[in-house]
Amino acid sequence: MKRNARVTAGVLAGILASACSPAPATTPQSTAPAAASTAAPADAGGEGKQLSALAPATVARMAKTKAPFDLTGNWFIDVSQNPEAWRFGPPYPKLTAASQVHWDAAKKATAEGKVYRDDIGQCWPAGLPLIMTRYWPMAMVQIPSAIYMISGFMNSVRIVYLDGRKHTDPDIIVRTYNGESIGHWEGNDLVVDTVGFRGDHHWMDQGGVAIPAGEQLHIVERFRMVSEGKQLEIEYTMTDPEHWEGEWKSTKRFNRVDDEDIQEVSCLPDLNEHIKSTTSKTQILQ
Amino acid sequence: MKKLLLGCACVLLVASVAPVLAHHSPAAFDRTKEVKLVGTVKEFRWQNPHTWIEVIVPDEKGKEVVWGVELTSPTYLIRAGWKSNIIKPGDKVTVVVNPVRSGEPSGIFRSLTLADGRVLTERPARLGTPDSK
Repeated sequence: MKRNARVTAGVLAGILASACSPAPATTPQSTAPAAASTAAPADAGGEGKQLSALAPATVARMAKTKAPFDLTGNWFIDVSQNPEAWRFGPPYPKLTAASQVHWDAAKKATAEGKVYRDDIGQCWPAGLPLIMTRYWPMAMVQIPSAIYMISGFMNSVRIVYLDGRKHTDPDIIVRTYNGESIGHWEGNDLVVDTVGFRGDHHWMDQGGVAIPAGEQLHIVERFRMVSEGKQLEIEYTMTDPEHWEGEWKSTKRFNRVDDEDIQEVSCLPDLNEHIKSTTSKTQILQ
Repeated sequence: MKKLLLGCACVLLVASVAPVLAHHSPAAFDRTKEVKLVGTVKEFRWQNPHTWIEVIVPDEKGKEVVWGVELTSPTYLIRAGWKSNIIKPGDKVTVVVNPVRSGEPSGIFRSLTLADGRVLTERPARLGTPDSK
């Protein structure tokens, strides 16, 4: 809880510092066409360290490219046509044996009036992809070198780097539930590649459907603005050979929310003492 | 007399469209049943991610049972006319819930009737759509 609050505060402080810096431009639309120098410099920070996405030099370098759109805003999954639109299936992919056992156990539990391993309800992070479609808005702040996303659900932080960096060496990456996201522009689309996930207590669905998300999970998202900027569309292509065969595809739409801000939200230590269903006999925790 | 009206449970046809308004799975609740709790507020916590109410309700033998009622976040409740001081410990209330399937004294909120007869509900979470206000 305290860690989450510190991370959120740090990200917001970074965004504010960047916005107030004397860098030539932090607004994508105000910048000049792309130049060859936007490529990430090798050993940018010295001693092999990647220069921060919030470093004025990084922001200035990436500001030379005009972004096709600005995601800055609050976004909420569009459930106006289907209240179950937060799910990424059906259709679901063909599951592996390792995954099928969880699917079957969840179906059996549901038939018996129980809940199978609802880790999110036990305060584990939702993680990608579910963090994108919680029933709370997600605030996104875009600068030329990154997009900072803070979910209204547990203030989960997701950073999409746009500064040309490569994925971290698998031997040193710190695995997380939202993974490591790196984006680049392809025409009018933003393509985001995410790897580096935690493979424990991490699920692709909830509420009677149990499909694990493993360390091999790889998610490619194609972001585009639709409905004259009032909606965001994201095409998901997800693979995890440990848990399903081939590509799992799903397309989601999100509505821009201009009359609501996210708030501080934590899974406090005493929350579930009072949200009694989470500690009831309905729960199958292992 | 305060009374737990388990006999008023009624079957609904909305089970398949119950959205995840909570941080946890909604599968724990039996959406086909409603339990009407007539009792006294023990505590009302206005907080994220969920507001909750604890209601003291006598069981059939007169023993006081504390029911836990789970609601959505204040963001959505405010849009449905709620305030943080709308109820307080000691208030007489009637709360309708969908109970957990295990039979324990816990449920997810459906409606609240105050002592003055006002009825409060939640609103669908459809932020960013024309019917969101």
